[in-house]
Amino acid sequence: MLKHYFLTAIRNMKRNKVFSSINIIGLSLGLVCSLLITLWVLDEYRKDAFHVNKENLYSIYQREYYDNKVTGSFYTPGILAAELKKQLPAIENSTAIGWEQRATFKLGDKILQFQGNSSDSDFFKMFSYPLLEGNAQAALAGPNSIAISRSMAVAFFGTPQAAFGKIIRIDDRKDMTISAVYEDMPGTSSIQWDYIINWTDFLDKNSWLKEWGNNDPLTIVQLRSDADVSKFEAQIKNFITKIAGEFPGYRVELGLQKYTDKYLHSNFKDGVIAGGRIEYVRLFSIIAVFILLIACINFMNLTTARSMKRAREIGVRKVVGAIRGRLIRQFLGEAVVVTAIAMVFALILLYFTLPAFNQLTQKEIEFPFSNGLFWICIASLVLITGILSGSYPALFLSSFKPITVLKGVLRVNSASANWFRKGLVVFQFALSSLLIIGTIVVSQQVRFIQNSNLGYSRDHVLKITLQGDLPKHYESFMQRASQVNGISSVSSANMDPIRLGNITMGVSWEGKDPDAKPTFTQLAVGYDFLKTMEIQLKEGRDFSRSFGTDTLSYVLNETAVKKIGYTDPIGKPFTFWGTKGTIVGVVKDFNFNSLHFAINPLVLRLDRDKNSGFVLLRLEGSKTMAAMQQLEKLHKEFNPNFPFSYTFADDDFQKAYKSETLTGKLSNCFAALAIMISCLGLLGLAMFAAEQRVREIGIRKILGASLQSLFVILSKEFLLLVFIAFVIACPIAWWMMNNWLQDFEFRIHIDAWPFALAGIAAMAIALITISFQTIRAALANPVTSLKSE
Amino acid sequence: MLSLKHISKWITLGGKPNFLLKDVNLTINQGEFVSIMGPSGSGKSTLLHIIGMLDDFNEGEYLFMDQPVHTLKEKQRSALYKQHIGFVFQAYHLIDELTVYENIETPLIYQNVKSSERKAIVADMLDRFQIVGKKDLFPTQLSGGQQQLVGIARALIAKPQLLLADEPTGNLNSKQGEEIMDLFKQLNNEGVTIIQVTHSEKNAGYGSRIIHLLDGRIEQEQQP
Repeated sequence: MLKHYFLTAIRNMKRNKVFSSINIIGLSLGLVCSLLITLWVLDEYRKDAFHVNKENLYSIYQREYYDNKVTGSFYTPGILAAELKKQLPAIENSTAIGWEQRATFKLGDKILQFQGNSSDSDFFKMFSYPLLEGNAQAALAGPNSIAISRSMAVAFFGTPQAAFGKIIRIDDRKDMTISAVYEDMPGTSSIQWDYIINWTDFLDKNSWLKEWGNNDPLTIVQLRSDADVSKFEAQIKNFITKIAGEFPGYRVELGLQKYTDKYLHSNFKDGVIAGGRIEYVRLFSIIAVFILLIACINFMNLTTARSMKRAREIGVRKVVGAIRGRLIRQFLGEAVVVTAIAMVFALILLYFTLPAFNQLTQKEIEFPFSNGLFWICIASLVLITGILSGSYPALFLSSFKPITVLKGVLRVNSASANWFRKGLVVFQFALSSLLIIGTIVVSQQVRFIQNSNLGYSRDHVLKITLQGDLPKHYESFMQRASQVNGISSVSSANMDPIRLGNITMGVSWEGKDPDAKPTFTQLAVGYDFLKTMEIQLKEGRDFSRSFGTDTLSYVLNETAVKKIGYTDPIGKPFTFWGTKGTIVGVVKDFNFNSLHFAINPLVLRLDRDKNSGFVLLRLEGSKTMAAMQQLEKLHKEFNPNFPFSYTFADDDFQKAYKSETLTGKLSNCFAALAIMISCLGLLGLAMFAAEQRVREIGIRKILGASLQSLFVILSKEFLLLVFIAFVIACPIAWWMMNNWLQDFEFRIHIDAWPFALAGIAAMAIALITISFQTIRAALANPVTSLKSE
Repeated sequence: MLSLKHISKWITLGGKPNFLLKDVNLTINQGEFVSIMGPSGSGKSTLLHIIGMLDDFNEGEYLFMDQPVHTLKEKQRSALYKQHIGFVFQAYHLIDELTVYENIETPLIYQNVKSSERKAIVADMLDRFQIVGKKDLFPTQLSGGQQQLVGIARALIAKPQLLLADEPTGNLNSKQGEEIMDLFKQLNNEGVTIIQVTHSEKNAGYGSRIIHLLDGRIEQEQQP
């Protein structure tokens, strides 16, 4: 029987090459698209799932109530992890995790930079990063211990064995002992560090984090396997308040999240975890299903379109004794065979497109040749898709009454079948319109982000990390750098001015409500900061060397002034971290954080220490290359123990919107594919309609219908369907895109034109697709068509 | 073998019944060769389809090999005709996607005959109709007469007692038509009951009994 299905399927395909190609191409495209997305989604879900203790690992987050709002974040005090473990027996292990940093390592003459972090000594006991050398107990125990990855060990010492126990100099500030070498962190890990420094060193370096009011590190705990999680959650809720005491107008609570969930669910809304990457995962999963559905609908429509040709065969089969179930099985079998063939093409396509896809999505997904589960999934996908797409034709075709089809009086045109088919087309085009509109809006928003006036100019701004000997020779380095031909302005900041996250409540002013706890973003800058970043001054002045007291001067942004309520702020007092000074300038608001967030009040002060952060240099666009070479030479002179590493502000900016850009790119591809597949289906349907109405057309022609009038008759119905689909898609698209845009504090307004464009595009593409078919039908000789009766 | 009692079939057009068959009574015995004649629209084909259980009727009783067809369910009916009846059509109705061999084999597949048995039965049939050399050809590669030969072979493959033919020679030239009718005669002599619908007096003459239909009624029966 199987052999029979296969044979008829193959012969049918050979006999109708155009039809079969449309069918198989459409299905392959749909399949490869869903396969790519599925692999991507699985990869997202696999993140961090390899940790043996994953069931007991939890991130601690903070929920803060102040200034009439609730905020949530994973930033916690640096001493929380150790304190929790000390006090709560439910915790088996705990660790704080610092911030990722690019550090410079030196061994003899070899200087290399690696990305890494700091953590407590429990780190390797909690997480499943296998150690090649050393043991989990001692790996990060001492104030001088550092664990490094295999790659880093190989880069410096040749082998992990050779690295173990050796001493390496970090950031030219401290010699550390390599107390462990771990296997390179796998792609399935959400963290990718080449070194981990012990927590004692981190806290000594950042002693402000030893205070309860200051938050930044992450806190992760491993509960005992018999621990009662909800009880534990209740225990930690007011943990910090109990230790640090209460503050008027401010309250902090601790919450718990599965560590493995953090990768996909890392956003907070009003103090509650609400989404994150998971939204993209969901979005693309839905798109995958949509595209596969569109491809399946194609298959259904194309197959039913061919039912005229096969009706006779079905009649004959019934007459010679086939019962309906047999025929249903035959058609389902054929559908599965066709799907299997499409799947073979899809897999070949997948194999060749995967590298490009990986590049686009920054993933390292491999073709899972040896994964049994993958092949089982493929097989089930073939079965499901085949049965789904074959079900309607199978049920429809097998219901023909043999005698009517053999007599030539076809009842293919039954009302219910027609409605169903039209419904499918509407559904298909509604999905496509949805994707087109979505794509336009997403790319509009991405373009908006890229072109938006941030209030500063990020082009040609070079950032050099302030480290090594550079802080020591700060003044002379700046002096020399400003003289380099091609550099128009130099300054510095103690943090990355593109992503300012450092907020404080330590501000006050005249007339401030003592219980109010507004948070201000703060940044310490060098001279000429406004000039270098091209930030506009609204009133007053920038910090200047000609004013000796500028260490007591503050520059605020408009939002800050509004918050304070000064009408004439210049010269008014302002207190920052207990230092009372005056406001000397007000700058226009600029976006110093992601466009996802509103602009916070900002206070700029003059940096006195200049021992960390970045040197900022504005290059003249035309002389970049020469200036860079000069700078490198200069850097080598002043900071010989560190490589000349730099980033451009613009690149950093682009990185911050990686997922938006990716969404834009991917949805472009997928929308194009969806439209393509839908049109293949429409083509099939136009063929069907033309075939079905061949007699009507013949009669009309004999009665004198012109080509144009026939074209209108044949196209009208399709355009109406596409139009209905579009009308259905519009409100849904508006709702979905509006929802997506809510995530951006700075967002475009949804115009009518993307809708109009999508509608016109869908209609135009549909019209072009069907016109080939309709023109052919309209041109056909009526004698032959009428003879077929 | 079968008997029709007071069989009527009508369709309602504009509220009025339009009779396709009206009070038809007919008994056909084992081994007969019956020809049904009549002008276009007289109900010949409808009668043949009702006998072949491909079509329903509105009134009357139909006994086929002592089974009351009018009370049977679709599945039982299909099982009944699948076992006992073979059909031959004017337009041959072979499946274009299948070879001669596979076309002939199809009814056996639907009767769940085992593969090895099928092979033997089909080989016998090909032999008997002298079309062994054509077994791997597709219907479109054959002449009309050859296609009808395959059609008859297919109708006979399951060894039916009754062969129903709807203008089997309608699409053939006279020489091919004669050959087919000779074959029918020979089959009848071997014991197969045959009912054919035909326009041709000459072909009707091959049968043992001719039934004339007019406007859905049996007008006259004659012995040639």
